[in-house]
Amino acid sequence: MQAVLTIVQDKGRAASKGGIGRALPLLLCAILLLSGAALTAKALYIPVKAEVAQVLLNRAFDQSLATGAPVKPWSWADTAPMARITVPRLGASDVVLSGGSGEAMAFGPTAMVDDPARRVTILAAHRDTHFLFVRDLKAGDEIVMERIEGTRARYRVNGFETVRWDEFSYPADGGEGVLALTTCFPFDTHTPGPLRRVAWAQRIS
Amino acid sequence: MRRIALNFDRDALAVMLILGVIAMGTAATSAFSTSATANPVSTARAEPAPAAPMPVNSDGGLVLRSIGEVAKDVPAMRLGTDIVADVDGQTARVTVTQAFRNTSDQWMEATYLYPLPDNGAVDTLKMVVGDRIFEGRIKPKEEAREIYEEAKANGQKAGLVEQHRPNMFRNSIANVGPGETVLVQIEFQAPIQQVAGDYSLRMPLVVGPRYIAGSAKDSGSLSRAALLAGASDIVAPTADPDMVARAGGGLNPVSITVNLDPGFTADTISSPYHAVNVAGEGATRTITLADGAVPANRDFELRWSAAGEAPSLGLFREKHGELDYVMATITPPSAERTGAVPPREMIFVIDNSGSMAGESMPAARRSLLYALETLRPQDRFNIIRFDDTMTQLFPDAVAASGRNIEQAKSFTHSLEAEGGTEMLPALRAALDPCDYDKPVTAADCAAEEAAEADRVRQVIFLTDGSLSNEAEMMAEISQNRGRSRVFMVGIGSAPNTFLMRRMAEAGRGTFTHVGMGEEAESQMQRLLDRLARPVATNLTATVTGGNIDFAPRDLPDLYAGEPLVLLGRTRHLQGTLTVSGLIEGRRWSQTIDLSQGSQSDVVAKLWAYRRIAEVEAERWSGETSYERADESIEELGMAFHLVTSRTSLIAVDDTPSRPEGATLTRDELPLLLPAGWDFDHLFGVQFANRDREPSMREMEKQRQQLELPETSTGYVLTLGLGLLLLLAGLAMAVGHRWERLRSALPLRSLHSQVA
Repeated sequence: MQAVLTIVQDKGRAASKGGIGRALPLLLCAILLLSGAALTAKALYIPVKAEVAQVLLNRAFDQSLATGAPVKPWSWADTAPMARITVPRLGASDVVLSGGSGEAMAFGPTAMVDDPARRVTILAAHRDTHFLFVRDLKAGDEIVMERIEGTRARYRVNGFETVRWDEFSYPADGGEGVLALTTCFPFDTHTPGPLRRVAWAQRIS
Repeated sequence: MRRIALNFDRDALAVMLILGVIAMGTAATSAFSTSATANPVSTARAEPAPAAPMPVNSDGGLVLRSIGEVAKDVPAMRLGTDIVADVDGQTARVTVTQAFRNTSDQWMEATYLYPLPDNGAVDTLKMVVGDRIFEGRIKPKEEAREIYEEAKANGQKAGLVEQHRPNMFRNSIANVGPGETVLVQIEFQAPIQQVAGDYSLRMPLVVGPRYIAGSAKDSGSLSRAALLAGASDIVAPTADPDMVARAGGGLNPVSITVNLDPGFTADTISSPYHAVNVAGEGATRTITLADGAVPANRDFELRWSAAGEAPSLGLFREKHGELDYVMATITPPSAERTGAVPPREMIFVIDNSGSMAGESMPAARRSLLYALETLRPQDRFNIIRFDDTMTQLFPDAVAASGRNIEQAKSFTHSLEAEGGTEMLPALRAALDPCDYDKPVTAADCAAEEAAEADRVRQVIFLTDGSLSNEAEMMAEISQNRGRSRVFMVGIGSAPNTFLMRRMAEAGRGTFTHVGMGEEAESQMQRLLDRLARPVATNLTATVTGGNIDFAPRDLPDLYAGEPLVLLGRTRHLQGTLTVSGLIEGRRWSQTIDLSQGSQSDVVAKLWAYRRIAEVEAERWSGETSYERADESIEELGMAFHLVTSRTSLIAVDDTPSRPEGATLTRDELPLLLPAGWDFDHLFGVQFANRDREPSMREMEKQRQQLELPETSTGYVLTLGLGLLLLLAGLAMAVGHRWERLRSALPLRSLHSQVA
């Protein structure tokens, strides 16, 4: 902000000296460059944060596995890794965070529902970062879920569903085990919308 | 979109888990069930055995919730249901009355979910809670919800009817006193299906919560969402025959009365799933269930046909507000075929996904084998089967030679139901007339298509409708239908009629439900007969001497005996309507004087409902934005007093003047109820069932609702914008530099440098 002001002042002086015709383009040019750079940085921050967080989360997850207790990925984190999901066919892997807050979702998929007693797990993540791969999922794909307790469950994708955000429902009892990956839909747009894509998977032995 | 996004920030992101239990009622009935498509179904007709054809998309029940400190959900006993349908010409006015009783000693809120015919339009709500009568008024959905919540908090009695899905509604009733009885009466308009001179009225029974959605085992249950999205392979529940046996009759009794006045003398009145009594003479008949109240464990369907010549023309009108609404039904003559049936091209698409397991797959196989038998050597055909993979029997449509038919038959016999459901690739392949295996160019293909433009390609889908990604399917059909006509054949006990009818409409074909067992062949035969009979094509509707737009705008092809139903509105109804088209290559036309219509009080609502369906279709095919579609639907709902996805009926302590002398004590209740309602009978059933309650609760299967968060960072857009600005800035900077460079250096020196 300070820099912008200085430049504006500089340009102001230039305008008074060299005429408005020469200073205005310079000023405009500086504003364009600065705002462009700021926006670009702001935009890039999102995927970079998503990637870097996953690196830290993976480390925390491995530590959690070793100690058997949740380890915070960084000291001020208000969330902790819960599990790691991997889709071998797509080579996709994400560390899942407990607690489905919008904050946490910047770092990784979050568990909206994770009820071991009823064997239901519902994950949500951004469609343009961690759950971009949901687009490429196919029925029959295997999803591996490793939990920090050291258990390892395999699921097979068996169906897809497109629902409005407020019309989603899940079985209260997951039977053998049900996993849902949810994200925004459609994938090729970049504005918010009411539709969500849900990939359903069922546990296999 | 903005509204949703805001809601999200405020509520959804903060508290994700809301909404308690989705209405679940009497659980014992779930014993019948298995997946939507794998019901063990007896083919016997009108037989009160528990294993019977199941209702379509039935999912509902009642849950009472304590107000204040929420205790566990107590399933309320369902007392019973009374349905009265008044069939008048092309439509039926249906009144459904249900009674529930709060058997606890606490003040309660009741909420339940129930299915309706997939194009039924609810417009009236009346509720009797204890000794009060509420009349429902239409309000925008959020507003209605707010009024309801406010009344609930204030301890006022309130009732709310919301549309949850196009064929799924939810009622909520707040502040039901201890021991009070809740009576809910809704009224809706339902269309009469008319195909080849046969008429039918189908009612998914309002009670009968989870015959489909529930499960007798712990392996999970099918969601409402799943029923519609058809992701039935989310879970693969199996029926427990033991439970089927135990559930028996006597639960959820429903009594049904149909007052049939089709406008002609009805003949061969039948009900395939229930035994019925028919009384009356001439054009007006009254149909009641032979056994009085029956367990609501299957759809009710009534079929009839015209004894003599059915009227080929109908014109009804209504004034609503400033405008005139009109409905015209025209049935083209079913001309006898003069020559031979011209060669046809038929593409069969058969679903062999896991959801077809059980009775559905054999029914589909039989239907397809029957269809293959009817092909003649000059016809061309192909078969595409799909689960999560897809196979085309032949790379392109082939002649129906003996050898090819043999090959097709053995292919059909080998089909086994397994795997997921990925219908889109099969749909693409079926609609795409070009064969990608051959090295043809797009231009060649287009030329080939143009040459065959007037030859109709019939694409026949045999599926249980357990689909996902319906939006993409709809878009695919409406964009790429070309000269193809898409016929949806619903196999099994619970095909997703709503979606399948939409797809057929988009594909300018028809939807047929073939059911199970022996029914499959006869229904398939009817469909194929129809497809072989003369087709009225290139239909147009023009109005002279008046100014009126009729819907649908793109008129479908008509097969023999099918009526064309046109709905329109205008400022002043006048002029003549001429419908013309080609039958057997010959010109046919019919003209109606629009001012001659008879009065009907359903036309405006039917028009509105039709318009809503169009808006929905536009939404799915991407012609209208989500928000714009929502706005249009809200306007229509408000103007026509209809429950829609955007409008709800709300009743708050708005007691109408009760008939004089009528008090709401139990004995006199029938005065305020429709005829046929037998309170004592229903009341008795409640106590008879009381001891079953614990086991019901034990088996309670539930779906829980969850609001999904906004999961789009949208950084790509921001990035794009940022880069664009940077680029523009750089371009300017470079431009500026260049200017200065040029003015600083003499032009000549530049030249010499170049030299």
